[in-house]
Amino acid sequence: MRALVTGANGFLGRHVVDALLARGIEVRAMVRPAARLDGLDWPSSVDIFRADLRTSRDLARAFEGVDVLLHLAAVVSGGEDAQFAGTVAGTERLLDAMAATTCRRLVLCSTFSVYNYSAISRTLDEDSPLHETPELYARDGYTISKWWQERVTRRFADKYGWDLTVLRPGFIWGRDHAYLAALGQQFGRHHLVVGPLTRIPMTHVENCADVFALAAVDGRARGQTLNVVDGRGERIWRYLSDYMRGSGNRGWRLPVPYWLAITVVRLGFSTVFRAATKVPSILIPQRFESRLKPLRFENRKLRETLGWTPPLDYRQCVARTYGPTAPPRAGRIYRPALINLNKAT
Amino acid sequence: MKAALIGAGQIARQHLTCLKTLPGVELAAICDLSPATAEAAADRYGIPAWFTDHRAMLEKVRPDVVHVTTPPTSHFGLALDSIDAGADVIVEKPVTPTFAELQALVGRAQDAGRHLLEDHNYLFNHAPQEILRRIKSGEFGAVTHVEVLICLDILGPDGFADANAPHPALKLSGGAIADFLPHLASLAHLFVGPHRTASAIWNKRKSSPLPYDEFRAVVDAERGTAALGFSASSQPDAFWLRVYGEKMQATTNLFETRLTFDGPRDVPKPLRPFFSGLDEGKTIRRAALATLLRKFKGPGAYEGLWEFLARTYRALAERSALPVTASDVLEVNRLVEALKPQEQLQ
Repeated sequence: MRALVTGANGFLGRHVVDALLARGIEVRAMVRPAARLDGLDWPSSVDIFRADLRTSRDLARAFEGVDVLLHLAAVVSGGEDAQFAGTVAGTERLLDAMAATTCRRLVLCSTFSVYNYSAISRTLDEDSPLHETPELYARDGYTISKWWQERVTRRFADKYGWDLTVLRPGFIWGRDHAYLAALGQQFGRHHLVVGPLTRIPMTHVENCADVFALAAVDGRARGQTLNVVDGRGERIWRYLSDYMRGSGNRGWRLPVPYWLAITVVRLGFSTVFRAATKVPSILIPQRFESRLKPLRFENRKLRETLGWTPPLDYRQCVARTYGPTAPPRAGRIYRPALINLNKAT
Repeated sequence: MKAALIGAGQIARQHLTCLKTLPGVELAAICDLSPATAEAAADRYGIPAWFTDHRAMLEKVRPDVVHVTTPPTSHFGLALDSIDAGADVIVEKPVTPTFAELQALVGRAQDAGRHLLEDHNYLFNHAPQEILRRIKSGEFGAVTHVEVLICLDILGPDGFADANAPHPALKLSGGAIADFLPHLASLAHLFVGPHRTASAIWNKRKSSPLPYDEFRAVVDAERGTAALGFSASSQPDAFWLRVYGEKMQATTNLFETRLTFDGPRDVPKPLRPFFSGLDEGKTIRRAALATLLRKFKGPGAYEGLWEFLARTYRALAERSALPVTASDVLEVNRLVEALKPQEQLQ
């Protein structure tokens, strides 16, 4: 079995490559033309395919001999239009190319950001309402482009009869990516902690990668949309304490109740910023909610559908995030069991 | 008037946001090669039709005005098709990669009785317009010289210097800086008129995919002289315009709202610098607040584009003089052509 991974050298992508290799799956790693791959420690069996989804021609060649596409590539920096062009138009070009090949299986990396937090009151799960247009366009560029990327991908899958799995991770964290937008607002070394007891919808990058590798091979994932979080999540205060201890960041923490913070933001928005066209994200109520709203998050559907449990618990994740760097290709957690592989072929 | 856009990328958003505010303008259709990009723009701005084929859009919608907001190398063909479909055309700068293509476009527009405009947006920002007003009133005196210098870090990995996907502007003679030449040339043309001679220096200070990252030029024009420049290395980002008159001098940063005048003062000559400094400080403090506030509302540094579009549509509706004429576009681009490098650096 061979998998094509886009965004393969990204934060999540490099771990997904490792997880696929651990399951005995051959990997073709799509990376950008100028991407530096030093430090990735991929074995020579990994087939590197250099391309940029925005401009490269002949993307269909990347699908030669490929059984499943894991589409992780997205533009997460730059302005809203750059993100849309890279993430959405790039996905159109990739899937146009796929349509000319024999590959019929696709796992898309979506995000919790597609959910409309403002319309959810208790538990966020796969049945929760998504953003709708035009309300969507009040959100940030990342949310808009990921929402459209999922829409475009579903349309392609419907049109060509592909087996699609949509995975929606919460906040993905790990080494060098431990500070999360869910923690509140940072001012230099200091933190305004909004709702310190709120639980974070989070998944450690190695746990998350394990889900992607599993979804690629497990036939039960076909046609499914699954939220990816490791469990019910850690409370912000505890996570931030571990972050500050682990990163050596010794700033002050000022806790503020969520209800008070959202009241201030709503008041400011309705009186000062409503007519404004450019406002910092944290001062827009809908965006504030999507970062900080206290909801229940769980991975019941993921557990029930794929029988998945996170390979690493929170303490192990903390150790891997802030502890000494593991020697190359040592201490990998990915389970090599080819469970349900027969169902996928 | 029915308006349509070809190209739904970054600059298109400014056109769309502005067009939504203009009275008597109906946003009729939008076109982009990416179906999702076209559909999302239509969805967001309440545009009833979207296309991926511009000829199909022109045929079906029959717009009165077409905005060409695609990368510059595609402008010529798209503008030509739009003129042939009976539309007036507003083209983002640079209007065409070569002067010969522009001449062909202008000729075709004149034959068809249509208008071709290039977006010279910075001419219509508040500051140049205020300087122009003082020149016309006589209080500024005749302009002797103008300096325009853009300092902008375009060497970051996400834009012009993207090593993964070559930016379309790199196909222009002069590379990324050529994308800014119409700003420099249009401001020079506004204050000192058509050029007689021009001499330019193109340099590369830093390693990047850009062929050049520094540019300086001296221009001799009919009503005065101009010094033009672009620096990708000088920081912070700024767009300096200095206009030297026989009675006054004006300084503005077009990325901000700062505009100061220094002129005759009814005080003893030795005290003039003192009072000028006080006045300038007060003006800059006010401008600092205005610059901060405009970040929250409105078009920001694109205020000139909004004004340009508003004046253009008003003129088209009233069949009166356009804010940018075909002659302006030709003169500005004759200067742009004269400023281009003779050969690419290796």
